[in-house]
Amino acid sequence: MIAVAIAYLASVGGVANGGYFAQSLFVTGGVFAVLAVSLDLVAGVTGLYSLGHAGLFALGAYGTTLLYHAGWNIFVLLPVVIVGVGLIGAILGTLSLRVSGLYFAIMTFIFSLVVTVVLTDFPFTGGLNGIAGPPLPSFPASLSFLGSSLVWCVGLVLLLAVGVVWSIRASAMYPVLLAIRDAEPFAAANGVRTAATKVGVFALSAGLAAMAGWAFSFTGYISPSQFTWTMSVNILVMVIFGGINTRVGPLIGAAFVSAFPVVVSIDPLVQEAIFGLIFLLVIVLFPGGVMGLVGWFWRRIVSRSSTTRHHVTDAAGEPAVTAPIERPARIREVSWPSDEYALECEGIRFSYIRGNTVVDDVDLRVRRGTVHGLIGPNGSGKSTLVNLISGALRPDAGEIRVSSVRVDGLPAHRRPGLGLLRTFQTAVLADELSVRESVTIGLYHRTPRVALRSLIWPLLPSARRDHRRIRSEAGEAIRSVGLAESWNEARVADVPHGVEQLTQLAAACVGEPNILILDEPLAGLSASEVAEVTEIIDDLRAKGVTMVIVEHQTQFIFGVCDDVTVLAAGKLVTSGPAEQVRQNERVREVYLGQ
Amino acid sequence: MSEHASPALTVEGLSAGYGRFEVIHDITLSVAKGQAVALLGPNGAGKTTVLRAIMGMLRHRRGSVIVDGTDITAMPPHRVARGHVALVPEGRRLFLGQTVEDNLRLGGLHLRHDKERTEALLRSVFELFPVVERYRSRPVTAMSGGEQQMVAIGRMMMSAPSLMLLDEPSLGLAPLAIQGMADALGALRERGQSILLVEQRVDLALQVCDHVYVLSGGRIVRQSDAASVDAQGRELIDAYLG
Amino acid sequence: MLQVLLSGLATGAVYGLVAMAFAVVFYVTKVINFATGQLLMVSIMTVSGLSAIGVPVWLSIVAGIALSTGFGVAIYYGAVAPVLKVDRTGFGWLVSTLGVAIVLASVAAMIFGPTSRAFPALLYHHSIRLFGTSTTWQEMLAVIVAAVVLVAFEVFRTRTLFGKVGMAISGDPEMATAVGANATAYAVIAFAIGGLLAGVAGVLVGPITFANPYLGDTYGIAGFIALMIGGIDKPAAAMGGGVLLGVLSVVANTYINSQASDWFPFVVVVAVLLIAPHGLFASGNLFARWLGRGRRSAELALPAVRS
Repeated sequence: MIAVAIAYLASVGGVANGGYFAQSLFVTGGVFAVLAVSLDLVAGVTGLYSLGHAGLFALGAYGTTLLYHAGWNIFVLLPVVIVGVGLIGAILGTLSLRVSGLYFAIMTFIFSLVVTVVLTDFPFTGGLNGIAGPPLPSFPASLSFLGSSLVWCVGLVLLLAVGVVWSIRASAMYPVLLAIRDAEPFAAANGVRTAATKVGVFALSAGLAAMAGWAFSFTGYISPSQFTWTMSVNILVMVIFGGINTRVGPLIGAAFVSAFPVVVSIDPLVQEAIFGLIFLLVIVLFPGGVMGLVGWFWRRIVSRSSTTRHHVTDAAGEPAVTAPIERPARIREVSWPSDEYALECEGIRFSYIRGNTVVDDVDLRVRRGTVHGLIGPNGSGKSTLVNLISGALRPDAGEIRVSSVRVDGLPAHRRPGLGLLRTFQTAVLADELSVRESVTIGLYHRTPRVALRSLIWPLLPSARRDHRRIRSEAGEAIRSVGLAESWNEARVADVPHGVEQLTQLAAACVGEPNILILDEPLAGLSASEVAEVTEIIDDLRAKGVTMVIVEHQTQFIFGVCDDVTVLAAGKLVTSGPAEQVRQNERVREVYLGQ
Repeated sequence: MSEHASPALTVEGLSAGYGRFEVIHDITLSVAKGQAVALLGPNGAGKTTVLRAIMGMLRHRRGSVIVDGTDITAMPPHRVARGHVALVPEGRRLFLGQTVEDNLRLGGLHLRHDKERTEALLRSVFELFPVVERYRSRPVTAMSGGEQQMVAIGRMMMSAPSLMLLDEPSLGLAPLAIQGMADALGALRERGQSILLVEQRVDLALQVCDHVYVLSGGRIVRQSDAASVDAQGRELIDAYLG
Repeated sequence: MLQVLLSGLATGAVYGLVAMAFAVVFYVTKVINFATGQLLMVSIMTVSGLSAIGVPVWLSIVAGIALSTGFGVAIYYGAVAPVLKVDRTGFGWLVSTLGVAIVLASVAAMIFGPTSRAFPALLYHHSIRLFGTSTTWQEMLAVIVAAVVLVAFEVFRTRTLFGKVGMAISGDPEMATAVGANATAYAVIAFAIGGLLAGVAGVLVGPITFANPYLGDTYGIAGFIALMIGGIDKPAAAMGGGVLLGVLSVVANTYINSQASDWFPFVVVVAVLLIAPHGLFASGNLFARWLGRGRRSAELALPAVRS
């Protein structure tokens, strides 16, 4: 890595002493690359299509220029514009992300338009003609061998931007961000503050775009026409052309977009048309961009050279679970609170649409250390109740206490801190992640300040330690649920349903729950996988973990549970020791159909 | 019924799934003309996927689907819906914001130029469900779950399909409404309608159907005539359903 | 005041038509065609170009609208359908339609040059006196066309089986397909209607703006903002947003300063999006609930009637 950095700096020095042509190409390309990398962080990694990056870029450039003319030092201005525009990004993100991803795209698009209008129409910006940017001082005579200071400035800014984004991509935060993008409930259930994280990532990206603007302001005149919505689209073009959510894709895209007009020097109108057309063809024909094509060729070469495309392809028939050879402990011994009830729900009432009550005045008391079954016919409100307990929904009335702490008003991501974790009926994980990476998300709430540290992840000794620990704990958890080690690096997209279910179970186990809610853990599992899950549950019970299990398979429930609660049509039918409930007349009536 | 008449539905070697996932594997089943057949199985067994694959709603599939002598394997769903197969999906999925009658008429889309036929079908729906006629100009959202299920079945009847598919029609209904629904399905069968019913409630399936398939882990694991499902057989089925 | 209002109504009618062009496409396909403004430009440039080489005005108008309609369909097949095929739920179309917008504008600039060209005056020089105000027939025509389009569309949508199928597709495309509706055909038709409405808006506004390849930007953005103000979910709401935006812009121009219409729409749209994220006339927000109070209470009374 150090070698790469030295090689990079050497080549920057080479360009800085090179001809004017190479210098101007590098400056344009470098600024574009910062923009592309910053956009890829929100659009690619976090799935938020920002159409406002031209506006953020403009704020950086104009902010630097205007404040310089007001007497500020340009080097002081760098942190000022990054933080200032970052804050604007945070506000924009907070306002727009509350609705939806599409709304976010629209709001940022409108933001970009507003910035252009303000720059054009307000007197202090120089209007359509633009305004002269600040001059960047040359190196002092003793350092003049370094060459152009502008090239060095852009080179360092690019290094900084790429460093931060690649650091995040290499950190424990990357799986979390991908989970926010593709599997938001899963991320939230593991303690990730998804809304705040999205805003934070967008703010960071806005700051990086402002940094690009800062460097760009030294290139001469800046005018509104350089920052129109077309520029926003161009940045997106770079990202998608090169390959969205890849390390070097955005850099390739930026290089292409900046070099194309120079290399193919033609009428600017023709150029723009060709440009748009190329872009259109890429998004329609190769949504993966250049890196997607490279990967495709690479996989073809690899698959031709090696015949051992391991089990993943023919996983349908093969059992995913291996024979239990020396499993690591699924969960470490932790001292549990000693209160009588681990989980209490009182008078819970909930309706999706007013007047149509789905959960009606339900009480649920789960004794510490027991396995509690929650059963009832389809549509009886079991899953809704689980979603209420885990915070995905908020009850209209009633109280929920986890280890005597009232939680019904708290958001979902606060639950894991209280030891409450859950799995989902059908695991929704991020397809692009490996099984191991998915499991590491379960460790998020147990690893302090991942988000902050991810910015300089590879440089921090503590982060490197955590990284190793997270990887090994995740690997252990995967083995502990009975999955063969060969699954570790398989992509979630390629694994069968049963492995996915076990993966989310491993993510829950690694989070060290003291209360675990399993929503239909057997749905769609093969016989051997069912046996495995049963064994996992027994093991967790032996460790003292309190569990709530929602299941349809009544035989399984009565076999494994201490207590059982029965719901029907949103109402409580009965609750008590399993044997007693099994004998209950009304239960046999509504559920067992006997 | 004659063994030689082409069956209402013949499914052979059907495998299907979502994206790269294969959910159902090598399904082979048939529904004779005028027969009601049940597809039982636990949650996640792939029952809904079988229906969606028959309907042509899944792009990734292998095998063949023949309805009443017509090979519909490669047909897009909107053509399958034109008289071959009609569906009551899980959760009914009525067209909200439209009236009961509009919902029914939308069901008979491919017969829209045949006014007489449409009116006759509408009458037969109203005959089976008088309550639907009473509320014909109301928005569907103003009806109870059981009544909405009647509209959904009526919508299916309007296309005069060779085969009816129902996906857990008893879901979320009150016991009385379930019985009403079962009676309606019985009446449809009496009229010679071929039906493939996906259910979790074994008692209901046995009450309505002639033949039973049990699906587990995406495969057919058992089948038998409803009449020959004795106490022991029923226990077996129960074991799969839990 | 009345003069201002009338002028705003005419401007708003054009914005509304463009907004409706956006909304009809979104209604059926849940895609925002960001090249809608450029379709308006296609019709304007065609009419201008054809009439300049001596083609009768009426024929060039027909050709202009036909071309924008055709381009609408082409956008569906070339830029939207392939993207949706790969990923039904992604936002690829957002990028690809923006790409189309850039291509259309630059190709038009290549053919016609980047400067403004003459456009047939049509009814622009025929004035009409109304309640003591003076308006051109061209502006009156815009208001009339917008009103007719709105009413015709709503009648068509809610009263014909064809329209009801459209409603079904909008609400639940998969289930609509399962009753035999051809969702692809409807998507093509929606893009065609979008192109048609944008093309008509172009003919209405051409005599005032003349023909410029970058007009698509101006009107596309105005129409899009109108769409955001009114609400994206219902085409009628989009028209409402357009009229409101037009009136407010002209009022701002008259009472603030002559540049105000450049930035005033943004103030309005930002305010609206903060208060009512789904638009003023969308169902489900306070304003719409207040508007529909009478009807809603009647619906609520229903269960009591039945027994």
